[in-house]
Amino acid sequence: MRSIRLEPRAEQSLLASFLVSGSAILLTLLAGSMLFVFYGKSPVAGFHAFFVEPLQTQYGIGEVLLKMTPLLLIAQGLAIGFRARIWNIGAEGQLILGAIAAGTVAIWFETSDSLFLLPGMIIVGALAGMAWAGIAAWLRVTFNANEILVTFMLSNIALQLLYYLVTGPLRDPQGFNFPQSVTFSDAAMFSILLEDTRVSTALIIALVASIAAWIFVRRSMLGYQLIVGGLAPAAAQYAGFSAKRTIWISLLIGGAAAGIAGVGEVSGPLGMLQRNISPGYGYAAIIVAFLGALHPIGIIFSSALMALIYVGGDYARLSIGLPSAVTTIFQGMLLTFYLASSLLLSYKIRFSDPRVAIQRSPAS
Amino acid sequence: MMDPIIFVLAGTLAAGTSMLFAAMGELVAEKSGVLNLGVEGMMAVGAAAGFVTVATTGSHSLGFLVGALTAGLLSLVHAILVTVFLANQVASGLAVGILGLGVSAAIGKNFEGTTVEPLAKLDIPLLSDFPVIGPGLFSQDIMVYLAMLLAFGIWFLMNRTKPGLIIRSIGESPAAAHALGYRVLLIRALCVLFGGAMAGIGGAYLATAYTPLWAEGMVAGRGWIVVALIVFGTWIVPRIVLGAYLFGAVTLLELSIQAMGLNIPSQLLSASPYIITIIVLAVISRNKTLISLNSPVSLGQTFKAGS
Amino acid sequence: MKNLTKKLLSAGLAIALTAGMSAGALAADKLKIGFIYPSPVGDVGWANELDQGRKAIEEAFGDKVEAVVVENVPEGPDAARIMNQMASSGAGMIMIGSFGYMNDGLKLAKKKPDINFIHASGYKTADNFGNFQTRNYESAYVAGMAAGYVTKTNTLGIVAAYAIPEVVGIINSFTLGAQRTNPDINVKVVWLNSWFDPSKAQESARSLISQQSDVIFSLYQDTPSVVSVAEQEGVYVVNTSSDMKKYAPTKLLASMTISWKPHFLKQVQAALDGKFEGTAYWGGMADGAVSVSSLSDDLSAEQKAELQAVIDEISAGSFHPMSGPVVDQDGAEKVASGTAISDGDMLGINWLVKGVETRIPK
Repeated sequence: MRSIRLEPRAEQSLLASFLVSGSAILLTLLAGSMLFVFYGKSPVAGFHAFFVEPLQTQYGIGEVLLKMTPLLLIAQGLAIGFRARIWNIGAEGQLILGAIAAGTVAIWFETSDSLFLLPGMIIVGALAGMAWAGIAAWLRVTFNANEILVTFMLSNIALQLLYYLVTGPLRDPQGFNFPQSVTFSDAAMFSILLEDTRVSTALIIALVASIAAWIFVRRSMLGYQLIVGGLAPAAAQYAGFSAKRTIWISLLIGGAAAGIAGVGEVSGPLGMLQRNISPGYGYAAIIVAFLGALHPIGIIFSSALMALIYVGGDYARLSIGLPSAVTTIFQGMLLTFYLASSLLLSYKIRFSDPRVAIQRSPAS
Repeated sequence: MMDPIIFVLAGTLAAGTSMLFAAMGELVAEKSGVLNLGVEGMMAVGAAAGFVTVATTGSHSLGFLVGALTAGLLSLVHAILVTVFLANQVASGLAVGILGLGVSAAIGKNFEGTTVEPLAKLDIPLLSDFPVIGPGLFSQDIMVYLAMLLAFGIWFLMNRTKPGLIIRSIGESPAAAHALGYRVLLIRALCVLFGGAMAGIGGAYLATAYTPLWAEGMVAGRGWIVVALIVFGTWIVPRIVLGAYLFGAVTLLELSIQAMGLNIPSQLLSASPYIITIIVLAVISRNKTLISLNSPVSLGQTFKAGS
Repeated sequence: MKNLTKKLLSAGLAIALTAGMSAGALAADKLKIGFIYPSPVGDVGWANELDQGRKAIEEAFGDKVEAVVVENVPEGPDAARIMNQMASSGAGMIMIGSFGYMNDGLKLAKKKPDINFIHASGYKTADNFGNFQTRNYESAYVAGMAAGYVTKTNTLGIVAAYAIPEVVGIINSFTLGAQRTNPDINVKVVWLNSWFDPSKAQESARSLISQQSDVIFSLYQDTPSVVSVAEQEGVYVVNTSSDMKKYAPTKLLASMTISWKPHFLKQVQAALDGKFEGTAYWGGMADGAVSVSSLSDDLSAEQKAELQAVIDEISAGSFHPMSGPVVDQDGAEKVASGTAISDGDMLGINWLVKGVETRIPK
């Protein structure tokens, strides 16, 4: 009689991590082609619309990079916390707070053409995102309140705050009562990186943040502490690393990244504050972080893929008439299959025969 | 014609019912140690599947059944991920929730913006003739009463029966329960499945009795409120029941206040369930014994037999 | 430094691009028309009426045109992408069906002068960017009169989308119409701040009913949600855009229907002839763009005759619903006796008439 056993892996190799992501993507594509068939479209046409069409024009590539910017930035911030087992799932709210704070600055200095306006907005946006995440950190260290639940509640509160502000205090007085702010001055906007597209210099910030995250994780003592704190809390305690510090740093970095992503949106494609700021980037970034194996380089690829799915979904709506639900289903499937595949990452599956198990060498 | 008092009473009961169903399911899952952040998606799937069933067959009971089964099927994915594949519960719940939102939109696509006959209202003899509160409290559809019955059933199950004790002990200490010979993973999976089915019924109630209409995104955050509700009620059934009706009343109050012309930002009311829940969470978490008395200790942690 | 990056990136892209350049060149003689709707087309409602316009175009012009539709596009950055994508896939004309698409549409129109845009509602125009609106305030006046006849509580409830001038004007006109047949009218409004939120719209309707409203006005709600609640609760209901009689067979008081067909056909013809102009079209009863349908049989023959007489006057241009004296909520005279409000004032109207209890959200 054979039985299946799971053995924890001593360490997770990078290659194995990417294999898991790869298999998640493959499984998603497989299930995706069934979905296309269900909608009466050929999988070839479906994948062409989703993954080829957006990359055929400069504008399309620009749109992918545009979507990638907030996903990349947020996911890098979240991954640092996730590695330390701090589950900040409220990046959506931190993004909104960043957008609100930066937007308020832009509206206040409506006519300014100062070179310092945008940098100021970025700083204010980052601080606002940090403050919002900081509430969760503070409640966790002082009251031991679960950060998953708190960050999640705070996101819902942030959304209502945004609705209140754009319907009232921050509404454009000449905007015919439509719930949106004035359009920002040029000085409050990121400049366009690629002609005829909407990709802005915010992408550079996201890429720089990725490099910083990589250095942070690979080189710095702090990064090491966060990993140890995550993988082996007892060992971390023993070595004198403070759990409280881990909580604060994880949440603040995540909040800052999401806050800046919010600035990138209002000072980029939106150019104003309005009710729709993010189509769920904060949640999609969680998928991106996992799919990128919580690795700074992996996240660059996974954010590009997720952005392509967003943009490709819109292309597929127009060119072959697929409903928008397909995009959402793709996102859900990616994470579902990733989680299923990652069993192989953390554990080795052993098919063992109990009768011969004794004869096995312990080194196998 | 409705009287304002009847409106508030009747409306509160009806508005709280969908959340109460989903919350009772989520409570059982959490008591067994599994957090499900995908309630919103499961309610959406139940709503879409239930609505489509009622729209095509005309049978409300069939609608609830199909809603429960479809959402149950979705929760099975979560159950398998967290038990067999040892996946992180937070990530798995979110994944399944997102999947559910997409699937619900796909199921309901051809029924967008259409309506069905609402579930019939029952008049409880004598009581519903009671002046003022009678029509509000005792002239509801059957699901309103079934939700209350379910809440009582769950309270009884959890606090007065052996299966309830087993579920709780698995939530407290899966390792100890495993050592005693209980099949931790199977029981957890069943609890998650039950949670999904109840979320499905809650969603189906929204789409076929409360609204009764299908539109993409119609669950509109109620699933998120359910997650908050469990914390708000500190995992205790009577408090969760109270919370469900309280949060139901808040959503109505927001609109009533506007119609009355009072100058309170409606967004403050919309945010209030979350604000209150954070405060409650901070208060109960502060005291280690207090929180461990109520919240399942192993909530959110993966368990692997033999580890 | 920044320029260099730009150039490098562009050069890299140019190489990658050569493969996919052929898409835009095909079928130059066929006019490709893109339609973007803010909500799903569904069975009835705003997007459905726009889609009826599209069908009329396809019917009238046959294979001279090709229509592509994307529905349920939120008013945000994604709308810009879909417009852009339509433009780059060879669309010669784009119909953008919601107020919130205005700025993105106008931006694209300036960049692509050879594409003609028609925008539903909104207030900005350009040479190749025209907008179209309907004078729903005309039918609202008639519906208001009907509401004044049937109400017993003298309280009317309105579930409204945004407090934009178009909506404010409709509320004013509806109230004035009701006051004409019933001087003691009191109007309550719930602002949803959404075009499409069926369950909240229903809760709003129920809340208005509980506060004694016995006629509910579903103003720019894209679904029959409010209409069906009214039928359930046994109160009269008025709605915009489509005829929703089938969702409230006994309680529908009147539907304020609109038709884009005449305007759409004219615009497409102009585009085909190369004579498109970015004008602001504001169609009313006289153009057949606005009408009142399915008047309830609970209205007496005399009442119906009275309503018809007003419809005839409005159609003939001899009566304007906002004719003075009109005073606002604070009692200030906004339209003097013997005059009617100008189109310009109506387009920017930001005050409610006396008799409306709710304020414009500040």
